[in-house]
Amino acid sequence: MPASIARTACIKGSIACLPLSLAVAPWGLLAGSMAIEAKLTPLQSQGLSAIVFAGAAQLVAIGMLKGGANLFSILLTTLLLTSQHLLYGLSMRPVLSELPTRWRLTLGFLLTDEFFALVSQHDRQQFNRWYAFGVGFTFYLAWNLFTLAGIILGQSIPHLDQLGLDFSIAATFVALIAPTVRSVPTLVCVAVALFCSVLFSYWHWETALVAAGLLGMAAGFICQKSFGAR
Amino acid sequence: MVFILILAMGLLVFLNRYAFLEPRLPLRLSSNARQFLGFAVPGMLTAICGPIVFLPGQQLNLDPANPYLLGSLLAVVLVLWTRNTLLSMLLSMGLFFIYRGWLSGSP
Repeated sequence: MPASIARTACIKGSIACLPLSLAVAPWGLLAGSMAIEAKLTPLQSQGLSAIVFAGAAQLVAIGMLKGGANLFSILLTTLLLTSQHLLYGLSMRPVLSELPTRWRLTLGFLLTDEFFALVSQHDRQQFNRWYAFGVGFTFYLAWNLFTLAGIILGQSIPHLDQLGLDFSIAATFVALIAPTVRSVPTLVCVAVALFCSVLFSYWHWETALVAAGLLGMAAGFICQKSFGAR
Repeated sequence: MVFILILAMGLLVFLNRYAFLEPRLPLRLSSNARQFLGFAVPGMLTAICGPIVFLPGQQLNLDPANPYLLGSLLAVVLVLWTRNTLLSMLLSMGLFFIYRGWLSGSP
């Protein structure tokens, strides 16, 4: 692919990811400031975002470290909390597994909820690796910059977690989902996933999100198979 | 100790992300599996939003006046009406914060 087309696709991906990159600001700030509060050094706090790059797992791990949990229980929790990525990988396998190794490794590392939300809408023909890289890398930069901001300003923003900033994630995802609900099976899928995610989270399941997502997907799939409607 | 934890966490998360992207993994997706996975976007993204909207601050809130619920409904209406994701997101966020501010300002 000529360099100019690659660059255009990469910039397109970056722009598509801007709203989500901004939406993640509160979580990034929180990840940075909470790590400092839990007595991690600035380098360790930034390292979490740079190496782990998974918001929910980072926040929970920091909380567990603070509470004196052992290494094994933190790692097990991490595994459970990030298990939805297995599903994303499986879902994007037809497109991503065909790429050369360095692309697979790079895009695999960048495969987040947000990456999946934006890139998986493209099928084999529409998929562009540079667009995907633009999405993923922009998000990675944003996540790390907001973490850095959290490390620097953390304690000077009081009650960061009570400002309702997490609504930005919901608003963005809702705006991405709503237009895709064009059939009864998809509606069933969304309804079941919504109900189960609230119930399982209320029960404090560590696998609440992926369990709810899977049940919603199964409900939608069964509905589609039984009624044959699209 | 903390750095070992960070590296191990990073490795685990990466393995979760990469496992099914590996072409040497002997796995072919049937048409049923593909149809099932077609529900991954609405299913997973909804599951992520659910607790944010109905369990703000880890507290169950089923009140119809819950700002998170009203804000999300507004985002749905806006995006279906305008077909503009960014605009819907920004407008619903703006009104969410105004509404929350108004709620905390009045007794």
